Amino acid sequence: MTRLDLEGVGFVYPDGTRALDGVDLTIGAGESVAIVGQNGSGKSTLVRHFNGLLRPTDGRILHDGEDVADVRTAALAARVGIVFQNPDRQIFAGKVRTEVAFGPKTLGRSATDIEAATRDALAAVGLSDAADANPYDLGYSRRKLLTIASVLAMGTPVVVLDEPTTGQDARGVARVQQVLAGLVADGRTVIAISHDMRFVAGSFSRIVVMGGGRILLDGPPAEVFAEPAWPVLASSYLEPPYAARVGARLALGSTPTETALVEALAARG
Amino acid sequence: MPVTPSPYHRLNPLTKAVIATVGSIGAFVLGGYVGPIAIMVIMLLLAWRAGVLARLARVSLLLTLPIAISVVLVSVFTRAGTTVLFQIGPFDATAEGVDFALQTLVRLFAISLSIGLFIMTTEPRAFVFDLERRGVPPRAAFIAVATIEAVPTLVERATMISESQRARGLDTEGSFLTRVRGLLPIVGPVIIGSLTDVEERSLALESRAFSRPGRRHLLWAMPDEGWERVLRWVLFVLLVGAAVARLTGRI
Ligand SMILES: Nc1ncnc2c1ncn2[C@@H]1O[C@H](COP(=O)(O)OP(=O)(O)O)[C@@H](O)[C@H]1O
Ligand SMILES: [Mg+2]
Repeated sequence: MTRLDLEGVGFVYPDGTRALDGVDLTIGAGESVAIVGQNGSGKSTLVRHFNGLLRPTDGRILHDGEDVADVRTAALAARVGIVFQNPDRQIFAGKVRTEVAFGPKTLGRSATDIEAATRDALAAVGLSDAADANPYDLGYSRRKLLTIASVLAMGTPVVVLDEPTTGQDARGVARVQQVLAGLVADGRTVIAISHDMRFVAGSFSRIVVMGGGRILLDGPPAEVFAEPAWPVLASSYLEPPYAARVGARLALGSTPTETALVEALAARG
Repeated sequence: MPVTPSPYHRLNPLTKAVIATVGSIGAFVLGGYVGPIAIMVIMLLLAWRAGVLARLARVSLLLTLPIAISVVLVSVFTRAGTTVLFQIGPFDATAEGVDFALQTLVRLFAISLSIGLFIMTTEPRAFVFDLERRGVPPRAAFIAVATIEAVPTLVERATMISESQRARGLDTEGSFLTRVRGLLPIVGPVIIGSLTDVEERSLALESRAFSRPGRRHLLWAMPDEGWERVLRWVLFVLLVGAAVARLTGRI
């Protein structure tokens, strides 16, 4: 289990762009957290700090209370797996199976473990039938699922996904939701960046809203998508999900998901 | 491309291409120190005039460094020579090795600065139009341009793949050997990826009707002043002169 703590984290890119500014954030083991915010608000930069791909220029990062400034990325990778946004900038192997086995292999697992992990990860994303295919013969949606499997196979206690639903067809989105639910049920920490407010409201118990390298809002969907928070969302060019807007219009309180909306309607009778 | 391109940006694309070619082949032909360093200084001055100095220096360092490091290590320690400067394990670092490594370095930098300056200051489409106008077959012009356009993507792709591998536990921090080992798995996909890129880009250029026969409008004026033509010939003659002088052992 790994708890992540960020204390006053700031990050400036070498070209002088300030991407993060005084970020304080604690993510407990087993939480499911969505990070939202307009393009350029620092979401991707933030998650690259979780496994040391980027090191903060201010503040510090702790795993289970221990500062990881001196721990190599290669070691942190065993705790935090990150799936990046663009599958075509990650996949490098000529075979689906090899791509998925890469993580457990570099982590030094045994041959039988690697095989089992690869098989399970492929099954979890529904790619078992494609194990011997060339990744570039798969469609975009399945390539994206492949990158997710490649990280699942590592069995990290924390799984981070950068825009897992962007560019996915409806089946792909449903598959991603199923994978996330499985991880949460397993007690693993799931952190996802997304622009899809409906997906976010339905699949995560906590939402962090970013803007200009800072955290603007942080709370459960019912709080973040409640009407009083809308001006803050608007400042980061976000719209509350449709169900939340309908619920507010009908004065039903905060109804971030369709389920919540239906329940509120039923309760009113 | 900046909003208000500098006079250097506005040169005819062929002139900038000739400057890049003469700079890089010149650095190679001249060898030694004076020639390549002079070329480096000229390119840096031009880049400064064009307002891309910092960017060019950074990109050229990034592109050259991995090759430079391996060249230095290999040549410093494996070049036979009589003057041993120091030893590491069983390897002798010889003065001859160091000299060779430094000469290779200045050449590498002169070449990457020359090519980088061209890429940073030239709109690929302008280059295609200009080549076509000069009678270069459109297909050849595409491939040239698609290749140039692919360079920045190639760098980005390499960075991202290596990032994703580090996120999956590949150790690229630490010793030089670890770093090199970390680079190996990305060489293949990056090259294949950029070949696909070049193909896609030439298809994209084509679908934007670049290959349609017949005359097209030039979307903007393509200057080619008389002095630019003269400059190109002068540079070309200088290059040939340098090559001849080099071959006949005069320099
Ligand atoms: N490699 C980089 N070099 C310089 N600036 C960058 C780099 N990557 C991102 N940025 C800048 O940092 C800010 C945050 O970017 P990013 O974390 O990618 O945002 P998001 O993922 O929320 O879209 C943006 O202003 C972006 O332009
Ligand atoms: Mg991003």
